[in-house]
Amino acid sequence: MTLLSLNNVERRFGGLRAVAGVSFDVPAGRVTGLIGPNGSGKTTVINLVTGMLGVTSGRITFKGDDISELPPHEVARAGVARTFQSIRLLRDLTVLDNVVIGFHRHEKTNLVENLFGLPAARRERREFRDRANVLLKRFGMTDYANYAAGQLSYGHQRKVEVMRAVAAAPDLLLLDEPVAGMNDVEAYELADLLRELVADGIAILLVEHNMRFVMSLCEHVHVVNSGQLIASGPPDAVANDPAVIAAYLGEARA
Amino acid sequence: MRFFAIYQSLLDVLLINCCVAFSQYVVLRAGVFSLATSGIVSIGAYTGAVLTMRYGLPAWAGLLAGTAFGALVSIILSLPLARLRGAFQAIATISFMQIVVSVTLYAESITSGALGIHNIPKLVSTGTLVVVVAALIWLLSSINASSIGRAFDAIREDETVAVALGISIVKYHTIAFALSGAIAGLAGALLAYNTRAIDPEQFGFGLLVIALATVVLGGRVSVWGPVVGATLLTLLPELIRPLADQRLIVYGALLMIVIIYLPEGIVDTLKARWSRKSAPPQISAG
Repeated sequence: MTLLSLNNVERRFGGLRAVAGVSFDVPAGRVTGLIGPNGSGKTTVINLVTGMLGVTSGRITFKGDDISELPPHEVARAGVARTFQSIRLLRDLTVLDNVVIGFHRHEKTNLVENLFGLPAARRERREFRDRANVLLKRFGMTDYANYAAGQLSYGHQRKVEVMRAVAAAPDLLLLDEPVAGMNDVEAYELADLLRELVADGIAILLVEHNMRFVMSLCEHVHVVNSGQLIASGPPDAVANDPAVIAAYLGEARA
Repeated sequence: MRFFAIYQSLLDVLLINCCVAFSQYVVLRAGVFSLATSGIVSIGAYTGAVLTMRYGLPAWAGLLAGTAFGALVSIILSLPLARLRGAFQAIATISFMQIVVSVTLYAESITSGALGIHNIPKLVSTGTLVVVVAALIWLLSSINASSIGRAFDAIREDETVAVALGISIVKYHTIAFALSGAIAGLAGALLAYNTRAIDPEQFGFGLLVIALATVVLGGRVSVWGPVVGATLLTLLPELIRPLADQRLIVYGALLMIVIIYLPEGIVDTLKARWSRKSAPPQISAG
């Protein structure tokens, strides 16, 4: 089932076509890969899907609704979560609090209940903390719950970012280089967790340079170069595509 | 009891300064660099004074009206400010303060202009002030622990993260402006009923700088930051009385020392140091 669909999406920065007429689908229950050389427009695609950048032309649909013009917080509320290429945690807050913020989309208590700390708001706060603790356990991070997020090692900070995104219980999860800075053991652990998530039915769009990681997770990969889609297909087929090799290594060697 | 009698007025000033500091604290905590507090304190003070002097309204009505009017003006002010950030918010709100000073100076028929309003009945005692400050500390701690506090934290630290989590920045900035305005309006009305005399110039640049300095000094995350900041800045002139002529130099030096050595403010920096004493084990990955 197609969850996210990009239809001839274009984004210009002045004269530069950062994303030039890209179309592809992201189905539920699978990890879809998006790869390409540095500066090819992968992160721009994520920014367009999440509404952080506006599309110049084209259409992005999510669960059948056009989300091309929605402001980013409404895209998030619709069920799209993301992580960032450069880690963006609330560094002074504890790991637990960073994860609890991820539940924002699921708040049901109103303003007054929160202003005066009424029982409903306190109950919800406890519930979110309990659920965050469950997530921490699942990601093997329980021991770090009360440390300031900024104090953790790079690999652990990446994990906290993924946990925060997973806390939002999204239907679509956009991961921008989630294993950069992780060692192989940590990367494989994360791969197992991501497999569990897609088994539960969510869709993941994975931007990653670590090809072993991409190969192990994705059944389908899209390759962009200079803002254009140059290849799509199973990872091993794509890796041997002459256009892809040329994009990564240069024309002469292709 | 004599000791208390001597220092009672100082305690009153301290408690009112706490309220002013809370107003400034709320916006800074939500990541808004608004300096509108002094202007809204002025609006609250004149609202309370005029309602009592002209229409004979009781204190509770004046306090309520000051609070409501402060919140209203602050929400209206937040509309044109929604697209501004950082220094631009500061500049826009400084001009707001100047506008309030001018209006209170020239609307003589209502405010008696530069002469100010005097002989306001003393309707607010130290006891009332203590109750108000305690209630505000309770309310702000409750907000800090709630989803509103979490949203404020996210927006202050990183707006991109906040929107990626579905937090509406406009919504929470409006909440921050409304709260800050309500507290400033209340502080103004309390001041009018406690000090019994107000004039336009006392809500000018001096109060703006003091409101900001209390929070910079004390800290903008913990609710105790503004309390510590207000206490220091209120007591300092008394403690350094022998240096009265060099008062501004002492102020400036103190602020510089705090900004250099305790950049997050006294309370927040000390809290962070305390929790950082135990660093996590860094065995795996790096």
